[in-house]
Amino acid sequence: MSTSTTGTLETALLDLDELQGEAVLAFESAASPEAVEAARVEYLGQKQGRLKAAQERLRTLPNQAKKSYGQRFNGVKQALEAACDAARARLARRTVGGDGIDVTLPGIAPRLGHRHPLSQTADELIDIFGRLGFAVARGPEVEDVHHNFDALNIPPVHPARDPLDNFFLPDGGMLRSQTSTIQVRVMESQPPPARVVAIGRVYRPDTVDATHSFMFHQIEGLFVAEGVTMGHLKSVLRLFAKSYLGEDVRIRFRPSFFPFTEPSVEIDMLWHGGRGWVEMGGAGMVDPNVFKAVGYDAERVTGFAFGLGIERLCMRRHGIDDIRLLYQNDVRFLDQF
Amino acid sequence: MIVSWNQLTDYVRLDAPVEVLTERLALTGLNHESTEEVGGDLAIDLEVTSNRSDCLGHIGVAREISVVFGKPLRVPSPAPRTAGEPVETLAAVTVEAPDLCHRFTARVVTGVKVGESPWWLRKRLETLGVRPVSNVVDVTNYVMFECGQPLHAYDLDRLEGRRLVVRKARLGEKLTAINAREYALDPETLVIADAARAVGVAGVMGGLDTEVGPGTSNVLIEAAGFDAMSIRKTARALGLFSPASFRFERPIDPEIVDWASRRTAELILELCPDAVLHPGVIDVAAPAAPRAPIVLRLAQIPRVLGIEVEPAEVRRILEALGLKVLEADDRAIEVAPPSWRADLEREIDLIEEVARIHGYEKIVEDRPIPVASAPRGRRERVESTVRDALTALGLDEAVTFSLVEDALAAPVSAEGADLPPLRVSHSSRKRENALRRGLVPSLLAVRRHNETRGVADARVFEIADVYLPRGDGALPDEPARLAIAAGLDFRGLKGIVEALLRRLLIAEPLSARPAELPLFASGRSAELWLGETLLGWMGEVDAEVARTHDLRNACSAAELDLGALLDKARTVARYSPLASQPAVVRDLSLVLDRGVSWAEIEAVVRDHAGDSFRAAHYLDTFRGGDLGDDRQSVHFGLTFRRDDRTLTGEEVDAAVNAVVDACSRKLGAILRS
Repeated sequence: MSTSTTGTLETALLDLDELQGEAVLAFESAASPEAVEAARVEYLGQKQGRLKAAQERLRTLPNQAKKSYGQRFNGVKQALEAACDAARARLARRTVGGDGIDVTLPGIAPRLGHRHPLSQTADELIDIFGRLGFAVARGPEVEDVHHNFDALNIPPVHPARDPLDNFFLPDGGMLRSQTSTIQVRVMESQPPPARVVAIGRVYRPDTVDATHSFMFHQIEGLFVAEGVTMGHLKSVLRLFAKSYLGEDVRIRFRPSFFPFTEPSVEIDMLWHGGRGWVEMGGAGMVDPNVFKAVGYDAERVTGFAFGLGIERLCMRRHGIDDIRLLYQNDVRFLDQF
Repeated sequence: MIVSWNQLTDYVRLDAPVEVLTERLALTGLNHESTEEVGGDLAIDLEVTSNRSDCLGHIGVAREISVVFGKPLRVPSPAPRTAGEPVETLAAVTVEAPDLCHRFTARVVTGVKVGESPWWLRKRLETLGVRPVSNVVDVTNYVMFECGQPLHAYDLDRLEGRRLVVRKARLGEKLTAINAREYALDPETLVIADAARAVGVAGVMGGLDTEVGPGTSNVLIEAAGFDAMSIRKTARALGLFSPASFRFERPIDPEIVDWASRRTAELILELCPDAVLHPGVIDVAAPAAPRAPIVLRLAQIPRVLGIEVEPAEVRRILEALGLKVLEADDRAIEVAPPSWRADLEREIDLIEEVARIHGYEKIVEDRPIPVASAPRGRRERVESTVRDALTALGLDEAVTFSLVEDALAAPVSAEGADLPPLRVSHSSRKRENALRRGLVPSLLAVRRHNETRGVADARVFEIADVYLPRGDGALPDEPARLAIAAGLDFRGLKGIVEALLRRLLIAEPLSARPAELPLFASGRSAELWLGETLLGWMGEVDAEVARTHDLRNACSAAELDLGALLDKARTVARYSPLASQPAVVRDLSLVLDRGVSWAEIEAVVRDHAGDSFRAAHYLDTFRGGDLGDDRQSVHFGLTFRRDDRTLTGEEVDAAVNAVVDACSRKLGAILRS
């Protein structure tokens, strides 16, 4: 290969590079369709275009250089055509003009409804206890005193039966003051073992304020079988607490008194970021008198029961500071959940 | 129960800081409410559960502390000196209602000098939040807060006949109590009377006339035991609550009565050195039933608690709590409960005592429970689907009260409306005392609440029970309902109901039958049926009803029986093959009388459109124009398809002609050109 041939090829390739650079710049900087067309004529024009001239130069080159030049030429041609197309597309989009849209406008959202936070909480509890093998049980809200008191080992002289502390009906019925009534109904209707959670509305004549309501919701758990101990109670509540509140939760029992359980305890929990123990509900081992009332043999089975306030769990979880918000059904409130 | 730190130290050594003390007490049964500093003393407020009335006095709390911290308990042994003639010569007591008063004791102190209490006594009472009155009265209060037994001191010279009679009130009897208010006494009220009149409401409050005052020199000290139920009823009936009635409503140590009487006398003598306690005590008592010993089988402790407790520890705890061990071997321990613990009767009571003193923190929390499958029940699954479908359709879920004012108690259907709603009787619910028979009115109230807060169209639903009285004294019928309210017209809301039914995979067609319903506008409401099952009611809310609910915007509402939805819903979908042949759709406009319903048209179409007919879908209705007032033009589409081959145009034409023919014959329809 002679020096002159090499030199000629190098010059020709450099010219091609220069042509590509100029042309791409011309297309990119074209601000109107007319400018794009002018650039197209100048560079890609069939008759007098500079690319055409560059193609014709091929013939003037020595044979050894033709292949290299031809390959580079094809590359340049493609680049120029692409640049021309891009410039046209760019300007075409811009020229939509009056038919264009403001893409920064907000979308048109279909109205989405919201489940009440109490039903969301109840659902989550049903889920967690369902995984622990507790099936859902239900019972009537208007109860007889047998299920609300007698069968729960609350004798007629017990202060819990005070008419001041209950909603009695004239015919002797009453609004259940606790979901424990459902334990009784479950055990009356089936032999042991029994493993249920009962959920629902309960009624107590509390003066309504930010933390009290005359109607609220409870979830009640019951597990009766041979060999059930208070250790199982604590273990189940701990599993629940971990599922609901997180891994680093601690649980504590404080002695308490409920006629239908013995021993009876209050359940306190302390979890991540908490400043102190929080009372979550009551629990205990099913009282032998309750077993007697439902026809279970207290010498054969043992069992535990617990009750948690759904409002309290819900309010804690969502930072709701006034229980009345839960029953006002203000859409501005509901739509936050 | 507020206790004074200083007073507790009279009975037990306190060497732990107050925070440690209250924490330990909380974890063994006396929940800590608050601690307040009162002039150099600490007022510690402890929550005493209703079974632990033994802790309604300082000695009871001190006993708990002594058990928990292992310190000796020091209880005073009052042995006041006596002089003069015996008490029986100075006073007499008759108990005419022994069923309501199982014990009544009286002691007499003469020559007292009533005046201000010494500093230490006033200080103690002030810590407890009790206003000092006079030395004699203060002593009775002090002893009550010391041991839990209420006491009363009478001015003996003001007692007619110098006698006390425990009896029921006479008809029309009245008493002015020491709070200076007059009370009319019910004949069921147990009173303490003298020979002439009531001088006190037994166990609740003494009378003004016979109270100890500045001029009193001779005092009768009453210490008694009353029937808890009777005291509670009286206190409630009179709206008169006192620290005494609070204690008498609960079991009181039957053996503390005489101790409290002696202690009171002793302290009066201490404050009035010149006074004389007369020998003896008038003690009218019914013999107390002996309490049975309790056997605790040691194996029951791990059976209930899930942990072992050393037998020696069990015995230590029970003895420290005042139980007397009668017999013990390696399997069981037999004990006699102390008189102050009426709550200890059964084996399980003892297990609880062992557990709380041994410490609940020792109960393990890593016991696995057997696996069990508890899939969501049908009710939960269907309810969840309903909530998901309705929220997806843009409705918010509401939770409203079931105990409502009359305006919100109305049922949605006419049936059952003749029986008034059930009502609770409670003073806190004078207005909102009715158990609602329908949910729709409550949802209208929700819409109104939102309207007043700038939300014109709150679209809401609720799932809850309604309460339908049966009228025979039985518990009411309590069906669960689903109610919906939204600012839509009839068809708009019906569409929501239809979409819900589709989501519940209910294949059965919904049929609406015109009905006149109290909440809804005439001609714009219906009963909804699924086959032969009544599903519910819906309609456009009547303008007058809307006005009574202060609603500004029109709306529709529906109330469906959740039970019917549960019955009809399918929770598992079944696949049916997709059509392989194209469908042919033809539109028709028929002119017919306005009285002809779409359901009638659809029924005729279905019957006459032939085998390849698949569905008729309503498009719209035109009224007015050249049709006049009696006619309407109904525009609808017909879909035809065969599964085995493509339909020909001629086949479809023939089917459409048959439909037009039938509609013409049966409904008087004319094809609109």
